[in-house]
Amino acid sequence: MFTRGALLYIGQRLVLIVFTAVAVSSIVFLGVHRLPGDALLNERRPDPAAEAALLHYYHLDLPLPDQYVRYVTGLLHGDLGESYVNRGVQITPLLLREARVSAEVGTAAIVFTVGLGVLLGVIAAVRQNTWVDYLATTTSVIGYSMPNFVIASLLFLLFGVALYSWTGGALYYNSGWTGTYGTIDQILVPGFALGFPYASIVARLTRASMLEVIRQDYVRTARAKGLTSRIVIVRHALRNALIPVVTILGPLVIGIVTGSVVIENIFGIPGLGKEFANSILNRDYNIVIGLFTFYAIIIALANLLVDLLYTVIDPRIRY
Amino acid sequence: MSQPVLQIKDLKTQFFTDDGVVQAVDGVSFDLHSGETLGIVGESGCGKSVTALSILRLVQEPGRIVAGQILFKGDDLVQMSDEEVREIRGKDIAMIFQDPLSSLNPVLTVGFQIEEAIEAHGKVPGKTALNRAVALLKQVRIPAAESRVQDYPHQFSGGMRQRAMIAMGLANSPSILIADEPTTALDVTVQAQILELLRDLNRDLKTAIILITHNMGVVASLCTRVLVMYAGRVVEQGPVEQIFKDPQHPYTWSLLQSIPRLDSDRHDRLLSIEGFPPDLIRPPRGCRFNPRCQFKIDRCLHDDPPLMNVGPDQDAACWVTMRRALSSNGERRG
Amino acid sequence: MATAPGITEKFLEETLAHEQTSLWGDAWRRLRRNRLALASSVFLLLLVLVAIVAQFWTPYSYYAQGLGPIYQGPTPQHWLGLDQSGRDILSRIMLGAQISLKVGIGTQLVVIVVGVLVGLVAGFYRGFVDTVNSTVINIFYGIPDLLVALTLVLLLGRSLGIIIFAIAFTQWMNMARLVRGQTLSLREREFVEAARSGGAKASKIIFRHILPNALGPMIVQATIGVPMAILFEAFLSFLGLGVPPPTPSWGAMAADGFHAIRIAPHIVLAPAIALSLTLMAFNFLGDGLRDALDPRQKR
Repeated sequence: MFTRGALLYIGQRLVLIVFTAVAVSSIVFLGVHRLPGDALLNERRPDPAAEAALLHYYHLDLPLPDQYVRYVTGLLHGDLGESYVNRGVQITPLLLREARVSAEVGTAAIVFTVGLGVLLGVIAAVRQNTWVDYLATTTSVIGYSMPNFVIASLLFLLFGVALYSWTGGALYYNSGWTGTYGTIDQILVPGFALGFPYASIVARLTRASMLEVIRQDYVRTARAKGLTSRIVIVRHALRNALIPVVTILGPLVIGIVTGSVVIENIFGIPGLGKEFANSILNRDYNIVIGLFTFYAIIIALANLLVDLLYTVIDPRIRY
Repeated sequence: MSQPVLQIKDLKTQFFTDDGVVQAVDGVSFDLHSGETLGIVGESGCGKSVTALSILRLVQEPGRIVAGQILFKGDDLVQMSDEEVREIRGKDIAMIFQDPLSSLNPVLTVGFQIEEAIEAHGKVPGKTALNRAVALLKQVRIPAAESRVQDYPHQFSGGMRQRAMIAMGLANSPSILIADEPTTALDVTVQAQILELLRDLNRDLKTAIILITHNMGVVASLCTRVLVMYAGRVVEQGPVEQIFKDPQHPYTWSLLQSIPRLDSDRHDRLLSIEGFPPDLIRPPRGCRFNPRCQFKIDRCLHDDPPLMNVGPDQDAACWVTMRRALSSNGERRG
Repeated sequence: MATAPGITEKFLEETLAHEQTSLWGDAWRRLRRNRLALASSVFLLLLVLVAIVAQFWTPYSYYAQGLGPIYQGPTPQHWLGLDQSGRDILSRIMLGAQISLKVGIGTQLVVIVVGVLVGLVAGFYRGFVDTVNSTVINIFYGIPDLLVALTLVLLLGRSLGIIIFAIAFTQWMNMARLVRGQTLSLREREFVEAARSGGAKASKIIFRHILPNALGPMIVQATIGVPMAILFEAFLSFLGLGVPPPTPSWGAMAADGFHAIRIAPHIVLAPAIALSLTLMAFNFLGDGLRDALDPRQKR
């Protein structure tokens, strides 16, 4: 798999990612700094001298092009600057810390999404037009029709209230995550709430894809060879049916990122999503710019992984 | 006469669709002897492919075998359990299909797919399966078999893919190989090669071959006996030479007439069979071919002719038969 | 430029018109058979009715506080109970319907106008507009929509109009891409060639021939866009960036009630269920439309 062509391709993509990061930063930077004046300083109006000192500290007294150059130079060195609201807090390390947290919950969500989604989709496809199928399909529409905070609320009610005696009300993600991986049961509930809407979408897609693949000639050939039903479904049908599902992994990651803004808020998870919501509300623009950059990079990396995943699944695709 | 290896008795396969019940195969019977090459010929939709799929019980919803017997070495495949049929598939009776590009799994290597066929019917160590796969590829005359075995289907040319499919079909030395339009998706020169391969394999391995096609020329080059199907029925059957020389059913006759000949007059119009393929949900009354038949008589519109003996080892389902139709018109074939 | 013999503009129109009516007729029949889609339509009509009624009358004022003990559950006087400030939840839900519908439909109107225009021009004329369009789409492809919308609202202010704009901003690209694709493929079809050779003006071709044929997928896309927009708005208001209080939005109501979910779940459940049902209805309807308009798809 790691042929010279593949490495070249990966290299190209990584360079592209750097460009994307700079581009996204720039757009957000310019968009934010074009605001009428100094809303940047959070409406606290200290006396003019202190205000000038503040502006100077953040280099906001420089002309815009200079600010921009400073910013991009910093960016290319990995320095995203300093928080406006909390003096002295360096953004890059902050976001990196929070990214690890979000990654854990996000990964749980993705594993859940893909696992449950594919399983349901296959079952619905194999039992097409039976009650199993109708149930699965209707459930999936309900699934992606519910905002994730609604699902979270229901989970709260379920675990926190109805099953109180059993769980003791525990489903919060402890902020003391310094052990890197939170315990599994702490990630489970937010992961579920985050992933469930997308699991439904994956289920529908898998079902549709399987239905199409099952009609293909090569599945008929596989049956004609005397292979068991199980092998035919898993090895022949599913593997090909997953190709469109891999395609949706990119948008899936974007969806998880989006959803995490709300879910992390609800569950008090100190990740990127919570940071985003907070920074938006606090008007900590530097962090907002940094977050967009981070997200752009994460998503671009995810897309790269997905493209590489294609080559594993479908040998017709080679770079 | 030795006992036939395959006996189809009055097979009926139907499709239950929203528009009605499609009588795709409506009472087909024939025998296949060991090592024989049988051609089943007919236009699209006449039921030849469904017959073949029925033999291996590969017909899927909304289709079903509703009546008849398929006796393979005395055992009725229609009555067998799914598991028993599965064991026969790919081992005693194998089937290959029309378009090898779509019939081979694009994400698995050719070698793997052949090995799979072998391993489906018994525990075989990996190395042995691999060696057998290579040997099979050689047998179907694919050059550089050792390296080719690791290639994917899209890396093969059309003709080689079909050979690979044949190799897959022969993996377990089946008694019968059913080939559903194996040459239709290939160009003419490659067609000839594949047919020659099949001929040689039939001769060397004594595998019986059922060849399904709409092309009379293909039948002529490979088969010893032929079955002509129309509207889900067998309308004529017999030895190939006899049928070609002396077809008795008007449909067979038309099929042969419509083959353009090099020695015909350039200004003669190309003959085609008039009319449309029959509706298999509500078939015509009487003989099913009557809407398109030039030679029909009154009886053809009311009575459905069964297969009747019209010559040594030749049967046709026609009240009129060509010899009467032609002599009464005073026409001489030429 | 001679037309092909016998092919007049009128003939083309009539042929096309026939093609289209049978398409719509079929689609309508198929849609009618889909019970979920029908039920959803009924639900949505009721919702619209409620929203209209709410403009003139609600059981209680939507902002009057202290109508009873706070956090009180459903009672005969207050069918859905009272929230954390003692406001009547039912009245607020009714008004919240207005917001959701306005946002949902408003965004799609903007998306359709902008997306279709850009898509048509980009697909038909190619060239500059097309390049710019593709570049913009590619840039924003890797950025989460919600975050862009959030930031826009932050920067531009919290009003209904801006929210509609922000959400539409993230969605018009999909519509443009869809319409562009349709235009590209339709423009090569024979009847367009024929119309062109008949001397028809470009704009006429676009509006008479291409647009009606692209209408199907456009409608489906818009119907799917409505619940997405409503969902976005719910997210926005849940995070505190929706329409400013005291205007009730279902998302904000859910957010407000969250802290009390254990003792007074009805505060969260009412808007949550309202949102879920509305989104479900739109999704079922969208599915039904898609199945109805695409004859090749079998269930």
